[in-house]
Amino acid sequence: MKIKFWGVRGSIPCPGLHTVKYGGNTACVELRFKDLDRIIIIDAGSGIRELGNYMLAHDLSKGPIKTEIFLTHTHWDHIMGFPFFSPIYIPGIKLKIYGPVNYEDETLEDILGGQLTYRYFPVRQAELVSEIKYIELKEDSFDFGNGIRLTTKYLNHPVLSLGYRFEHCGKIFCTVYDTEPFHNVFCTDIKNPSYDESIALEGEQVAKEENRRVEDFFADADLVIHDTQYTQKEYESSKMGWGHSSFEHAISAALRAKVKRLALFHHDPLRTDSQIDELSEKYCRKKYPNNLEVFFAREGMQIDL
Amino acid sequence: MVEVPINKEYRLKKIQNYIARMPSLSTTVTKVLEICNSSRTSPNDLNQVISLDPVLTGQVLRLINSAYYSLLSQATSLTRAIIMLGINTVKNLALSRAILNTLNGKNSCGSFSMDEFWTHSICVGVTARFLATIKRIPLVEGGEYFVAGLLHDLGKIPLLNRFPEEYLQALELSKVEQIPLHQAEDEILGINHSLVGGMIAERWQLSQIIYDALSHHHNISQTRKKNHQIVTIVALANVYTNISQIGSSGEFYSDDSILNYLLDQVGVDRDALLELHESLLKEIEKAKFFLQINRKR
Ligand SMILES: [Zn+2]
Ligand SMILES: [Zn+2]
Repeated sequence: MKIKFWGVRGSIPCPGLHTVKYGGNTACVELRFKDLDRIIIIDAGSGIRELGNYMLAHDLSKGPIKTEIFLTHTHWDHIMGFPFFSPIYIPGIKLKIYGPVNYEDETLEDILGGQLTYRYFPVRQAELVSEIKYIELKEDSFDFGNGIRLTTKYLNHPVLSLGYRFEHCGKIFCTVYDTEPFHNVFCTDIKNPSYDESIALEGEQVAKEENRRVEDFFADADLVIHDTQYTQKEYESSKMGWGHSSFEHAISAALRAKVKRLALFHHDPLRTDSQIDELSEKYCRKKYPNNLEVFFAREGMQIDL
Repeated sequence: MVEVPINKEYRLKKIQNYIARMPSLSTTVTKVLEICNSSRTSPNDLNQVISLDPVLTGQVLRLINSAYYSLLSQATSLTRAIIMLGINTVKNLALSRAILNTLNGKNSCGSFSMDEFWTHSICVGVTARFLATIKRIPLVEGGEYFVAGLLHDLGKIPLLNRFPEEYLQALELSKVEQIPLHQAEDEILGINHSLVGGMIAERWQLSQIIYDALSHHHNISQTRKKNHQIVTIVALANVYTNISQIGSSGEFYSDDSILNYLLDQVGVDRDALLELHESLLKEIEKAKFFLQINRKR
């Protein structure tokens, strides 16, 4: 498997002098397999624009492009690049778009294609000449063809968000973003009138179990891309419930799950290159058990598994 | 000239039998509707209120599992579903399940479509809740306004099911003569949906507020004083919904003077209501999910 980062930021693109090294585009990751002509893209953040141009320049000449886009969720930073993904304007290009959608929400097609309406954009969804198919995903596991096994797992984010696990030829690659650890959301204050002991205890138990299940989901992976928007201190002081994880959480979970490489991802837009370099000194230079390798994802970075 | 109703007693008996066999909207379901519709539901409240009714709990879990899970992994408890999917998702599913429970079949009868009927009902519920907000009624009570609006026309169901032919005549009469439907019901059947609504509320032991909304939304002066505001708001929401023609409960009669009277009673002006219209339509679109109408998935 070959993985390439086209966008590593969270929340909003942040180009500028201070984000040149790690990049300012929002989430987009490309996945290819040796000897297979399938192109898999995870998320359509602003980074997908450059990827689309690259595909037109390098893949179009080899025949009709077939692409599968997996959206982790439909927050804007993960879909905003879609209207600028030039392959959608090329006749004959076949696109499958997968993603989770809350049941009471519009369909995936309406949410993603809804960006292509005149009020936002000069082209409408109906005018696209490529063939686009939308497929809504649940928590599941299935044979994805060509010996690829795909497993999906619900994560913890304000909107339904899926982690993806791709297995091929003995290699495992997982995305675990946007997410934060599960918490017991039920009242644990005995003095509160709505306190209920059995619910409180079950809540604790379930949160623990679900965190275990997320770790099982990415266990033994050769590469995990994990949400690490915050430091533990930032997370605890004001970012709980925002749906993002800390470096500390991601690293300790990766250690427990015996992950081989951990890419820190979904960088906060406020984080400058020099700050990330500093954080990198702190979190990535260390020698971790089982030789866990930890690094900050960087736009343009490529990894072979 | 329309035939004078001769068998009122006999008809009432039939209606009573029908109501006795209606799947009851238990108080817990009413509570669920109320809690789910208030904008500040706590995870504990939601969990506890659904758990009170084991049948509903089972139904909600089944719906969660079919909407969000494959056979491989299933949510086994409400607690887990709330932690995994978030309170809003579970709340919405519980609300939809509770409303479906009150549907009692979805068959239509002649020109009377149940989908249209529930669209009307939901619109009245949503409008009543909006009006409550305008009147600065505490948000926690908003749920009650929604439920009162949602159920206000429930009395039409037994009439329609027990006396379909006569009911269609009443619908026709109200349309042709341009008289209010409850009046046409009285002329043809000797019974109207307000009366039957009250019977249902009694039988199901719903709150006095709901009882008043069901029995007096066409005659607000008969309402107990303490429920006057909520019943007036439901009545206004009903008239407004009919004029806007969102869904239909078979009412073709509309009269500006009633609207103006109710606007005055509630103390809102027409423009305030019109300003709401866009957001109202959006809410209705969302609510269609509850009815599972027009689902693309
Ligand atoms: Zn994000
Ligand atoms: Zn997000």
